[in-house]
Amino acid sequence: MTGTAPETGTAPDVGTATETGTAPVAERPAAGYLRRATIDLAAYRANLTSLIERMAPVEVLAIVKADAYSLGVDVLVPEALAAGIRWFGTVEPEPAYRLRREGVGDDASYFAWQLGPDEDWDAAVRLRVDLGVSTLEQLEAFAAAARAAGPGHEALVHLTIDTGLHREGCLPADWAEFVTRAVELRDEGVVRLRGCFSHVSETSEADDHAASLVFRRALDDAAALGATFEKRHMSSSSAGMEHPERRFDMVRMGSNGYGNPVTEGVTAADRGLRPVLTVSACVVRVKRVPAGTGVSYDYTWRAPRDTTLALVPIGYADGVSRRAQHGVEVTIAGRRHPIVGRVAMDQFLVDVGDHDVAVGDEVVLFGPGDRGELTIGEWADLTGSVPEEVSCRIGARVERVYTGGRA
Amino acid sequence: MTQDIRVTIDTAALRHNVATLRAAVAPARVMAVVKANAYGHGAVECARAFVDAGVDWLGVADLDEAVELREAGVTAPVLAWLHTPGETFERATAHDVTPAVSDVAQLEAAAAAGVRAVHLCVDTGLSRNGAVAAEWPEFFARAAALADRLPVEGVMTHLSNASPEEDGAQVAAFLSAIETLGGLGLEPRLRHVAASAAALHFADVGQGPVDMVRFGLAAYGLSPFPDRRAADLGLRPALTMRAPVTTVKRVPAGEGVSYGYVFRPERDTTIAIVPVGYSDGVDRAASDRASVTIGQRTYRVRGRIAMNALVIDVGDDPVEVGDEVVLFGDPALGHQGAEDWARAFDGITYEVVASLSARLPRSYA
Repeated sequence: MTGTAPETGTAPDVGTATETGTAPVAERPAAGYLRRATIDLAAYRANLTSLIERMAPVEVLAIVKADAYSLGVDVLVPEALAAGIRWFGTVEPEPAYRLRREGVGDDASYFAWQLGPDEDWDAAVRLRVDLGVSTLEQLEAFAAAARAAGPGHEALVHLTIDTGLHREGCLPADWAEFVTRAVELRDEGVVRLRGCFSHVSETSEADDHAASLVFRRALDDAAALGATFEKRHMSSSSAGMEHPERRFDMVRMGSNGYGNPVTEGVTAADRGLRPVLTVSACVVRVKRVPAGTGVSYDYTWRAPRDTTLALVPIGYADGVSRRAQHGVEVTIAGRRHPIVGRVAMDQFLVDVGDHDVAVGDEVVLFGPGDRGELTIGEWADLTGSVPEEVSCRIGARVERVYTGGRA
Repeated sequence: MTQDIRVTIDTAALRHNVATLRAAVAPARVMAVVKANAYGHGAVECARAFVDAGVDWLGVADLDEAVELREAGVTAPVLAWLHTPGETFERATAHDVTPAVSDVAQLEAAAAAGVRAVHLCVDTGLSRNGAVAAEWPEFFARAAALADRLPVEGVMTHLSNASPEEDGAQVAAFLSAIETLGGLGLEPRLRHVAASAAALHFADVGQGPVDMVRFGLAAYGLSPFPDRRAADLGLRPALTMRAPVTTVKRVPAGEGVSYGYVFRPERDTTIAIVPVGYSDGVDRAASDRASVTIGQRTYRVRGRIAMNALVIDVGDDPVEVGDEVVLFGDPALGHQGAEDWARAFDGITYEVVASLSARLPRSYA
């Protein structure tokens, strides 16, 4: 910090805006950017490497759904490959088809499980994308596409069992019929039983334990019907860490890979992980206002004293929740300052008091936490959200900047 | 999944809204604000529709958004008002974009870059962009000195909507700014104070100097007021968000549904899964509160909204995979409105549309 103190920073007894409105003058050159999401690729690779080592010999599948939580699937997948990841989960098949067509990770497996009513089964067969199927109709359609594609083609199937979440998945009552048909199609040579999988609700340890029992029972029943699977998987980030007995052959790591453990009370450092994402913006205006000045829409906050406001050009259209106000703090030069007034579509205001803040100064909303800023977990808690939502909802106007080198 | 979500924008509604708003504020000119990807509606396509409908100006927040319009071939006048620190405005000159400037530094940079003209942005109380009153003498004097090579085409401010009294005080301050400019020989031909809420609130926008009105939310057919439907304002919502049912499942009474099992039906029921989640821009805080429609029937979202999916309770209705779910659209057609979703997470209508992910495919009819 090389700037001077605000000229009017300590001006006492000011009355109207006309008398006190001069903004602090800074000597440092104003430059910078509007909004930025900085993604630390070295941290991402290190997180995955660490997870691979800890889970070994169990396979780690990296979740890259929703454009890798909006951080850029095209950039992150090559980094994950370099870190040793050989399985990717995309939720929807389309990103997997695209990555396959582009030849990214040709020796890796892509797994998707949220299928549409008009799924492109032929693409899944020809592009060797693993699909989690939940119904006989899906199984038959996938198998038919493999049959039609001819010798050398097969449907890479993961049978999905609903162990209580009640989203995707075959209900236990229908499981025997489902598995029986899958075995027939395997024997016909059009289906390869790659996996058996489930999602758990993470409601409580008792519920998740109950789900794991349903899963084991489903595996036993499948075995009795002649079905064995290359990869059995039911656990995601937190269960994979805490319950080795529920890892089976593979764990699906989303949040952990991004350095945001979702288990209550557990920090990234506790897990040997580092948050990969920092969201920041640069101050575009600084103004001195007198006590009583209303701020932003509806004047929900009024300056309790003469103070300096900094305008930050990132708003709810960029993914900053409107709930981020009144007490949520951002960090400028290592110092916390509160957001005041309503967060608008493109901007919000920060009360920087009498501190030396100038146009161009970087404002960190959240990051790894080592520059005094909130972590994404803290930001999520303060805005009634979860880290995954905060990350996914960062808008397209926010420039993605990658640091930590490309592998 | 994302590609199954259908966000459709009725460009006839956009044109209808512009015509309605134009009539309401005539003879003032009309600016359509297309910042934030046209409030989630798709910047380029909406800009084209608005220009076809005869808007005089397009407004965006920053120069990146302005350049996107130009590169797509949009030639109408474009105003941008939120600038990167140290902005040189060379892009503004290259793409014939008009900047609204808030301080002397921006004014000097705009002059040095040779932009066609500027609008002066003044802060009359919102405490955001714009020069505050104490800065006016220096700011306006510099603008007057540069006026030969940098015409001052407009002057603008933005209202807080805090109350009619507060807005009235802002209008008075704006008048004072205009008077000060006049004293320096500057008479900008485009004086614009109002945005959607203000323009519709004060039927007599003529109380302030209004050569142009900036319309954002209202142009998309949405009401800026929490207590008034768009139809009451003569507006038609342009955006409808739909997705197909991907899974239908019978759930026994008492069993949990989706993460956290926050929903446990009291009786046996049928649930349907819709492949829309918070990564698509749907606020997770609407979990268990928002509603959607299938045909003319309305169903509650149940359980936690996940990253890529939400669950609805359809009771004993015969809903099938592939059935079309309307998340929100035009309440006049029986849909939930964007404002209904806003209420479901204690948010505002603006957020519902402006938060829609840029990854969602949009189509225009």
